[in-house]
Amino acid sequence: MATRAPTARQRTEAAVNYPLEWLDERSALVAGLRYFLFRKVPHDTNWFHTLGSATLTAFLVQAGTGVILAMYYKPTPNEAYESIQHITNDVTLGWLVRGMHKWGASVFIILMFLHMGRVFLFGAYKYPRELNWIVGVLLLVTGMTEGFTGYLLPWDQTSYWATVVGININGTAPFVGSWLSQILRGGAEINADTLARFYSIHMLLLPGALIGLILFHLYLVVRLGVTSPPWSKTAAGRDRPPEPEADGRRSGLIRPGPRGGIAR
Amino acid sequence: MSTTPRERPTPSPDGRRRVLTPLEERRAQFQRYKQDVKKEGKAFYPFAMFHDTVMSLAVVCVIVALAVIWKYTAGEHPDDSGWLGPLYKDKADPGTTSFVPRPDWYFYFLFYLLRIFKWPESVLLGTIGIPTIAIILLLAVPFLDVRRERRLTRRPVAIVAAILVVISMGVLTYKGATAQEAIASELKAKVPVWIKQENLVANAQHVQGLPAGANASALAVRGAHIFSEVGCLTCHTYLGSGSSNLGAPDLSAEGAKGKGIQFQINHLQCPACVNPGSPMPSFGGLGNDNLLALATFLESSKGG
Repeated sequence: MATRAPTARQRTEAAVNYPLEWLDERSALVAGLRYFLFRKVPHDTNWFHTLGSATLTAFLVQAGTGVILAMYYKPTPNEAYESIQHITNDVTLGWLVRGMHKWGASVFIILMFLHMGRVFLFGAYKYPRELNWIVGVLLLVTGMTEGFTGYLLPWDQTSYWATVVGININGTAPFVGSWLSQILRGGAEINADTLARFYSIHMLLLPGALIGLILFHLYLVVRLGVTSPPWSKTAAGRDRPPEPEADGRRSGLIRPGPRGGIAR
Repeated sequence: MSTTPRERPTPSPDGRRRVLTPLEERRAQFQRYKQDVKKEGKAFYPFAMFHDTVMSLAVVCVIVALAVIWKYTAGEHPDDSGWLGPLYKDKADPGTTSFVPRPDWYFYFLFYLLRIFKWPESVLLGTIGIPTIAIILLLAVPFLDVRRERRLTRRPVAIVAAILVVISMGVLTYKGATAQEAIASELKAKVPVWIKQENLVANAQHVQGLPAGANASALAVRGAHIFSEVGCLTCHTYLGSGSSNLGAPDLSAEGAKGKGIQFQINHLQCPACVNPGSPMPSFGGLGNDNLLALATFLESSKGG
């Protein structure tokens, strides 16, 4: 068979695909994305299953607006309050960014609780998804700690005194209490060090932890799949007479496959 | 918990019927789940992703709408709060102590728990005990409920637990949101009543440990005025006035406990140094004269 010179169309396609193929050959990212997008989910998933991605969206709003706020916010007792006023009054659309961050926090917390309620009512925390429930609870606690540390940053009366009491409440913990409140305050009193600490925890430590936990959470969602609604007559995994496996034995979750993978 | 294995014929190499253990049942179910999803499932993109995208856009719209409503209904002045609260509150002032510490709304349940539990006996239950137990219970949910059953009508314990949690969190949050705070002018008006009812002038004469030449009665009366002004009653109660917050005890009969002037002064200067773990802020900023007056007032309060 004689090889023909590629047509112009084929040359263009090859040129367009080349960067993607280059990337995929080295990272398998394109194949991973394709798997993520075109993986099968139970046919009866519904609007209740969107609460998790809605929570992720609220988190991304917090991350994006937080980055912008950090460009203008000054974490010192003398400047914090004035920098918030500057953001709200002078910076172009600063009021919108601050407002979205302030209200987005509440939306994020509400969505976390709704998502948790959905998972609880659907019984979606049951085998083999127990670990993802635990990661979710850690996300809830970390998210609420984000709320607590962010509350001090505007440096107004409510936030200051709520933080005084909040730190003192941490101090009531047995054994670690005084050590914990000392660490949070960065000294004996709430002062510039405390504000810097809360700022650092609020925008470095906890977001880092949240991102790590979210990635693991999503990895487990993709690996283990989502559950059908419990009322579905055609739920994936419904009880029925067992079909014998091709290799003649019943197997568990960890099953050596051709490529050693599990969730396919 | 019905973890009893269900009788089910299973073909096994030696042809005998075998009873599946609960773990084997769960694993078999997950195998069926994967088969069903493969056979009957829909592709995440575009089907599920369509729902996700619509919902995410709705979330962003709600957040933007809240920000816009907040900005355009509130005025520049801190008192002009609009529909969603003021744009700013007053700047933090570590010198004032008359401020009610109020957390963000999602901590109201904790805030209100501390009105129920009192220092020193049970405050630890409200601050650390109940939240810790709640987190441990949440983490343990998948291990407490190991049945395969997911239908709501077959999970009465889970449903009742969920309803109770939602109701109690709702009630605590609502109570925390609507908790009444003491109003400063009303408290000031109460001072003459306290002086009379507690018999402060006479009681002060019996207070030990005052500096030589101090006018005990005048100190106690001045202390009563300071007490009404500096915010003690945002957490403590006194003869029915004030609001009970953060587990703070009633102080109507503080003097009857026989703690002494020096203890009261030390405690006001650094509450957590005297009562380890006390959530009360320091009142050392009031100055020694005012602290002595407050201490005399407290020691003269024998419960009326």
